[in-house]
Amino acid sequence: MTALVTGGTGFLGRSVVAGLLADGWRVRCLVRVGSSVRPVRDRRRAGGRVAGCTHIFHLAAEMRGATAVLFLTNVVGSRNLLDAAVQAGVERFVLVSSLAVYDSGRLRRGDCLDETCPIEPQPHLRDAYTYSKVVQEQVAWEAHRVRGLPLAVIRPGVIYGPGRDCLSGRVGLVVGKYVLAMGGRQTMPYTHVANCARAVVLAGTAPNAVGRAVNVIDDETPTGRGLLKAYRRAVGGVRSVTVPGALVPVLSGLYEWYNRRSRGQLPAVLTRYRSRAMWTPLRYSNAEAKAVLGWRPEKTVADGLHETFDWLNRQKKVATTATG
Amino acid sequence: MNEPRKLRVAIVGCGQIADAHLQEVRKLPAAQVVAVCDRYPDLARQAAERFGVPGVFDDVGKMLAESHPDVVHVTTPPHSHAPLARQALAAGTHVYVEKPFTVDAAEADAVFEAARAAGRLVCAGHDQLFDPSWLELRRRFRDGELGQAVHVDSIFGYDLSGSFGRVMFSDPGHWLHRLPGGLFHNNISHAVYKITDFLPDERPRVWATWFGDPDRPSGPPTELRVMLQGAEVSATILFSSRARPVQKLARVYGTKQCVEADLDARVIRRYRPVGAPGPFAKIAAPLSDLSEATRSAARNAWRFLRSDLHYFAGMNELFRQFYRAIRDGGESPTPERDVRRVTAIMDAIFATAREGQPPAAVGGQPAASANGRPATAQEVVR
Repeated sequence: MTALVTGGTGFLGRSVVAGLLADGWRVRCLVRVGSSVRPVRDRRRAGGRVAGCTHIFHLAAEMRGATAVLFLTNVVGSRNLLDAAVQAGVERFVLVSSLAVYDSGRLRRGDCLDETCPIEPQPHLRDAYTYSKVVQEQVAWEAHRVRGLPLAVIRPGVIYGPGRDCLSGRVGLVVGKYVLAMGGRQTMPYTHVANCARAVVLAGTAPNAVGRAVNVIDDETPTGRGLLKAYRRAVGGVRSVTVPGALVPVLSGLYEWYNRRSRGQLPAVLTRYRSRAMWTPLRYSNAEAKAVLGWRPEKTVADGLHETFDWLNRQKKVATTATG
Repeated sequence: MNEPRKLRVAIVGCGQIADAHLQEVRKLPAAQVVAVCDRYPDLARQAAERFGVPGVFDDVGKMLAESHPDVVHVTTPPHSHAPLARQALAAGTHVYVEKPFTVDAAEADAVFEAARAAGRLVCAGHDQLFDPSWLELRRRFRDGELGQAVHVDSIFGYDLSGSFGRVMFSDPGHWLHRLPGGLFHNNISHAVYKITDFLPDERPRVWATWFGDPDRPSGPPTELRVMLQGAEVSATILFSSRARPVQKLARVYGTKQCVEADLDARVIRRYRPVGAPGPFAKIAAPLSDLSEATRSAARNAWRFLRSDLHYFAGMNELFRQFYRAIRDGGESPTPERDVRRVTAIMDAIFATAREGQPPAAVGGQPAASANGRPATAQEVVR
């Protein structure tokens, strides 16, 4: 079996490639030289990359930037790769999507988010990344339905681990080392990079994965408050102000009103729609991933955070040495 | 009395800068965006959905025929500016072309020729000339506060650490690398038109050199230094991707005083002779700076409270003036002569910078020295 891994040198990609090699796969990798997915933006090149591969693991994604930049990579690039995969008749196409694609804003406090939750109907009102990932999935599912592509979709939560800071937008608004924590009781839908990579590799061969999307979230993930507290204790250097959960919708509403009134003088980073989707305290199920993929999150959250904090502290030392 | 019909605006090219156009046109009561077009339908659709635009196209000809715009904004990569502008002019629309106006002066001539033939207006995306801080500097010059212009320093910083820089460095096929002026070509016009605003010469002399980032020895040039000399006014350009902070500012030296417009901070700074004698000058000068800075801070705070501190304020004002000119049958806010001079000076800058170094050095090693022989803008065009 020969796998093509896009984004193979990225944060998740490195672990996926290592996992595939350990399982005896032949791996072809799109090498990252600054940008992960540039090559698949070119339709003609996409065909050449896919030739001879039996499986495609499409991990590459732009995560930041303007909507157009994200669309060019995450949607146009994926469309080209999907076309090439259909033409080549690959045995399986594993798409790494995101937990962000769900219409989580419609759920109430304490509800469980699982694969039965509908997809975000107005992703353009959320944020550029969510929007691009929802459309990316639409394109992929169309290739599955209409053209018979054997598609398996993985929807990971926030992927963390050594190599990436673990303070994400799920905690609140993060600007550098300043955090405006939104509530604190919400469960962080996190998955360690090694656990997530295992799920991706399993999706390449799991017999029942085709035609399904599964959420990948670790067991016993921390709350926003717990994560922030542990981070401050172990790494430090973060200044945070917490907005009580009940006030999050009020603050979001006020900010949204100001954004409209000032005609966008401050960017629309906080809207009621977005804050409902991001910071409502929910429960997350990973039962489907366990049942369909036979997946178990082997790295515990305690171990995962411990090694991530260690990595962050090493980075701090490197930065201090470099500037000192 | 009926309100005048809104101008129908169409946007061709739905990349990052198109967002700014869509956002700023939306603020103007005299216009509405009726169509967006991109060769990638996904990009056109996202722009249309986010900004509520009814027409979505992936073919310009079809868009012109079906949505009947009054004005077309060309926001595509530079190679397609001239052909798209000419196509839109031929279809009878007015045209706004993002910077850089065209790839070279010959293309600019062809666009203006097409505009004359069609009897339509052309506006270049020289939006920073309409930024409130630049307009204030111009006002002070007109009022005689600076005296006669002597020299202009134009500084343009460019941050390559973001996604655009990543893509540019990683993709040798990126459209930037196909431009005669590479990375600089896409942005240097912002620095040049602030100079031509004060340097009236048709053919200034031009010296230029470019070089790469020592930390990226195999990368393209990312640093550009230019000197221009006209009959009465000289100028320099510092284009830097390494210097921090990333700045957009220009300083105009006059015979009476020097005034600096800092477009990032949206402030004006004055440098004038201090009247106090000896050591007192060293106390009076910073006190004068302090009082000016206090006034600037208060002014910007007031603007913020009035919701008047928008990043693309210059673009908004330029659109407003362009649309007014279309409605009233006036002249374009960016006159042909000025746009053409900017394009010709850019041609001269890139030609001398290239000439000043053996091709092997273009990969990144700093040139030992710039080419001794200056070019004139006209020479290069010919």
